[in-house]
Amino acid sequence: MATTTSVEPRSSAVPGSRPRASAPVRFGRWCKELGWRHLVGVVTIVFCVLPLLYVLSASLNPSGTLTGSNDLFSTISGANYGALWSKGFGDWARNSIIVAVVTSIGTVLMGAAAAYAFSRYRFRGRRGTLTGLLLVQMFPQLLAVVAIFLLLINLKDVFPLLSTNSLPGLIAVYLGGALGVNTFLLYGFFNTVPRELDEAARIDGATHAQIFWTIIMPLVTPILVVVGLLSFISTYGEFIIAKTVLTSSSKWTLAIGLYTWASDERNAPWGLFAAGAVLAAIPIVLLTLFLQKYIVSGLVSGAVKG
Amino acid sequence: MSDPQLTTVEPPRTDDAGDGTAHGTGRTRNPDENAHARRFSPGWIVKLVLVGLVDALGVYGILAASGVQAWWIVVFLVFALALVNWAYFSRRAVPAKYLVPGLIFLLVYQLFVMLYTGYIAFTNYGDGHNSTKSDAISAIQLGNQVRVEGSPAYPVTVVLQGNDLGFAVVQDGKAVVGTADEPLAPAQGATVAGQQVTAVPGYQVLSFADIAQRSQEVTALAVPVSEDAADGTLRTQNGTIAYVFAPVLEYDAKTDTFTNTQTGVTYTASDQGYFVSSSGDKLEPGWRVGVGFSNFTEMFRNSDLSGIFAQVIVWTFAFAFLSVAITFFLGLFLAIVFNDPRVRGRKVYRALLILPYAFPGFVAALVWRGMLNPRFGFVNEVLLGGAQIDWFGDPWLAKFSVLLVNTWLGFPYMFIICTGALQSIPGDVTESARMDGAGPLRVFRAITLPLLMVSVAPLLIASFAFNFNNFTLIYMLNNGGPQFVGAPVPVGHTDILISFVYSIAFGTGGHDYGLAAAVSILIFLVVGLISWLGFRQTRTLEEL
Amino acid sequence: MRRSILTVLAVGATTFALAACSSGSSGSGETATSAPTSAAPKLTGSLTVWVDETRIDVFKQLGAEYQQKTGVTLNVVQKPSGDIRADFVKQEPTGQGPDIIVTAHDAIGNLVTNGTIQPVQLGDKTKDFSQVSISAFTYDGQVWGVPYAIENIALVRNNKLATSTPDTLDKLIEQGKSLKTKYSLVIQQGANGDPYHLYPLQTSFGAPVFKQNSDGSYSDEIGMSGDAGHKFAAYLQKLGKDKVLDTAIDSQKATDAFTKGQTPYIITGPWNVDAFKKANVDFSVLPVPSAGGQDAQPFSGVQGAFISAKTQNAIVANDFVTNFLASEPVQTELYTAGQRMPALTAAADKVTDPITKGFSDAAGNSPMPSIPAMDSVWQYWGTTEAQIISGQAKDPSAAWDTMIKNIQAAIDKSKG
Repeated sequence: MATTTSVEPRSSAVPGSRPRASAPVRFGRWCKELGWRHLVGVVTIVFCVLPLLYVLSASLNPSGTLTGSNDLFSTISGANYGALWSKGFGDWARNSIIVAVVTSIGTVLMGAAAAYAFSRYRFRGRRGTLTGLLLVQMFPQLLAVVAIFLLLINLKDVFPLLSTNSLPGLIAVYLGGALGVNTFLLYGFFNTVPRELDEAARIDGATHAQIFWTIIMPLVTPILVVVGLLSFISTYGEFIIAKTVLTSSSKWTLAIGLYTWASDERNAPWGLFAAGAVLAAIPIVLLTLFLQKYIVSGLVSGAVKG
Repeated sequence: MSDPQLTTVEPPRTDDAGDGTAHGTGRTRNPDENAHARRFSPGWIVKLVLVGLVDALGVYGILAASGVQAWWIVVFLVFALALVNWAYFSRRAVPAKYLVPGLIFLLVYQLFVMLYTGYIAFTNYGDGHNSTKSDAISAIQLGNQVRVEGSPAYPVTVVLQGNDLGFAVVQDGKAVVGTADEPLAPAQGATVAGQQVTAVPGYQVLSFADIAQRSQEVTALAVPVSEDAADGTLRTQNGTIAYVFAPVLEYDAKTDTFTNTQTGVTYTASDQGYFVSSSGDKLEPGWRVGVGFSNFTEMFRNSDLSGIFAQVIVWTFAFAFLSVAITFFLGLFLAIVFNDPRVRGRKVYRALLILPYAFPGFVAALVWRGMLNPRFGFVNEVLLGGAQIDWFGDPWLAKFSVLLVNTWLGFPYMFIICTGALQSIPGDVTESARMDGAGPLRVFRAITLPLLMVSVAPLLIASFAFNFNNFTLIYMLNNGGPQFVGAPVPVGHTDILISFVYSIAFGTGGHDYGLAAAVSILIFLVVGLISWLGFRQTRTLEEL
Repeated sequence: MRRSILTVLAVGATTFALAACSSGSSGSGETATSAPTSAAPKLTGSLTVWVDETRIDVFKQLGAEYQQKTGVTLNVVQKPSGDIRADFVKQEPTGQGPDIIVTAHDAIGNLVTNGTIQPVQLGDKTKDFSQVSISAFTYDGQVWGVPYAIENIALVRNNKLATSTPDTLDKLIEQGKSLKTKYSLVIQQGANGDPYHLYPLQTSFGAPVFKQNSDGSYSDEIGMSGDAGHKFAAYLQKLGKDKVLDTAIDSQKATDAFTKGQTPYIITGPWNVDAFKKANVDFSVLPVPSAGGQDAQPFSGVQGAFISAKTQNAIVANDFVTNFLASEPVQTELYTAGQRMPALTAAADKVTDPITKGFSDAAGNSPMPSIPAMDSVWQYWGTTEAQIISGQAKDPSAAWDTMIKNIQAAIDKSKG
């Protein structure tokens, strides 16, 4: 992926952008055009962040709880953070990252490939398959763990690597959902890339694989990144299937570990739990920061025009 | 494991005019002229290797699965291999090349779940009917071995004669030995140390390690105490101490019945999945049997529920719809607000706005539960200066709270999607509309929204379905409370269909997977139908 | 030609894959063979044991000792306490469950109904265990596991705030109010109630959840209906109006209030002792005073190990539970780690810690019912109590009667 995205030259045009005002913008106009946006941003961020500050405060308090620890940051101590590592938190974090990274890459590749087929080819069963993909998502997964567990133990004698208590096994289960709602997001986006581009390339002698890799994929980078990010986040936070598949605590993901702490009815270590939740959120925040430039690259509009 | 990369390597299609090695450089050649050369282009080799690996894994899987007689896996693998090879070596199956990897995973992991749930819906799987009949029989047998009262504990020696295991014990000061077929009889010339036999001529004495190796056989071994079966049998559980057991229930495989040796009552296997006596007494456990549609009819049998059931359905729809609407419009609004490149610090705003999504949903639900605690919660005590608002106590307020938390959880998702999808809207279209004198609201309604809907509408429908079945939130946040006062099942004002099913199938009197599966399928039919209609309404299908 | 290349490649890859897979599976298989030690252990192989997060550390330690002793590796798997039983019932029939599950005795009814555990013959060792632990582990005339610890809730007093305790709950609340602390007594509740923590109060009104047979086991006849139940329900309403009971006080808040000295009394269990000690609270553990005239009896929970009905290692599993776990040093070790009164009397007699003894003295003869009918009780029970306390149910007697009716219906239904 990295190589393909770098091939394409980037246009600096951004959708909805206007020529920058060369003269200093007056304050009144700034308020009207931009100031309110900052106001909206600040208000929403307060709404977003308050619960998280609350968790952060609880995580810094050795006797932190989730109910009634209302004097935010009254005690500041790193004790909870220090204690995390002896509980296997490092292993969980590594497992989570492995599972989420592999799953999201697999999801992006398979989803994009499927979207390409749906968007560029007309074949028998196409509509049916598309509708089917949507309907599969509607199935209540209440009993999914029972079925998945049964499936995995039956695979044990055949493909031990895809059985229970194995990260590849869990990743494979997650990839079962690769074609789903993501395909639609990609599909809609693929449709906005003009077919004339493919046609031109085809006339120039490009194969369907070349069109896919060198023409379409670079143009749809924003949505690929969005799908990758969404897949990463949802995989990262999933625990119901994960705790069925992964049995030994050294193989757990962060979400299972946190869930296990919280499920202790009597002595739930809420301080640890809060510290773990704070640390667990960091990769997502970093990833979002890092990937933004790909999401909002404005490549499409530039390319379409060209 | 089939490799997702598979789709990435494609050979030049021979029916296309194209050059396998050049990257769309515009040179055109006669396809027939160099069809042969193209087969050995790097892409072709990589594809060959990858498909070869998949085939190798598949063939290995078929062999391994045949070895353990897992015929379903064999059938599936043969089918999957045929599909893969057809897709990647046929010149015509271009779409299949792009669809096969994803579809195979989907088939294995998603469709299997659906089919299996469908199967469960027609069984009585649940507490008391947890496994197969043979498991049930052996569990009943295990559970009904009762030690003969007042009989001593014998330090036992496990012995081997040929292939027959036996027990040797000291009975009334004398060494006796016996096997499954030979009742205990005096062991001539046996060596005894204390209360334990240490050697018997003609028998090999097993060490504890040997006994542990033969765990299954040793624990299954029952040596008759005498010729009279009523005297009971000698058995051991731990290989060191044996007791005389007399089974209360005896199984007769021929008639498929259990008979109580003390009362003479006979328990016959019923087609309901348990052994039952003529007076209706059942033995525990039962086993799993097909029960036809009874799980489906069960739901409509309880007439007391109908009023509450209607309320739950209405709320489920309202919850799912409002959740999607609120999160979508909030997310879209914010996406548009921060889509203006002149806004400074957009990166930071965006990263912070995504924060709620960075926490696993159940963590957020637990945090909000604490924050909305009526007396000590952060919201009441700090934000509202000591107010006593019972966020989850009043039915309407609880509904509001659930939606509030779900908005908090859900809008970042919509924000990401809309931010991404907005990039597909060409800037010049909105620009020219604006130049034609359209106001921002009109540009939004006439151009941005319809264009956005093309890619986002299916996601809204999926999001609707997700929220329709958003069990984690309801369960972790307030468990559906406040409860209906005096309802015949534990169900609350914010319970949605799926959490309602959960409390009926798993909350009262054990787990009833059959019922849960049946309701799951009904929910699926309802949501699927609605989604499909909604899908048609948005015309998305028409455009496919 | 194409085909032939493919075939060659495929065959080559197959051999490679086969080799890779077979060598991989032998290394990662379940049969973890123990490393030979200098002690030359008798046995090899492994036992899989499921425990929850509260006992994982001590069982890992026991596993090492057992391996030292016998050579058998103990594969200790941690399961969340909320899932361990349901997961066991789901996985045991597949043959992929553990050999041994460690949990509390109230699971027995469900586990037996599902045919997932097998009886254990303690033989003459039966008399080495305390009465309550054996009766808790007895179901349908058989003993289904080996108990190792008993726990129950009690009244815990902050000695800085109060030094003497009256003998009725009403007087205790009065005393608490006169101390002018923020609370006079805390009993954890929550939006969905907490009948477990209210049970000592309920039994003091003579309203046990199920009627007990003469041998201490439970029948499935509801015992909390009628007059006694109504009196208890009315008492709950009174405590709710007085704000002594409050559904806003969950377990976190209750513990927090006691450690911060905001209340002289809390009704809680030994699991909070560490938190109290860490907060340097000087406290005593006492029996719960009577509220309704009779003895206040909390539920006793007895922890123990159970053997899967499908274990392939019955001999070793039995050896582990009946010989190893039932031995005095191991029960003492479990006591040291968990601070719960050992089930083995020889180990229990050695306990001198006043806190553990205090909890033990507060216990009555009410093991938590393990009959399957109990599954039908919890939700209705908790919800109704919460509604009475919060005032949502205006008429406590009527609410209580509805609850009894619903529980009875659920029991009848689950019996089929």
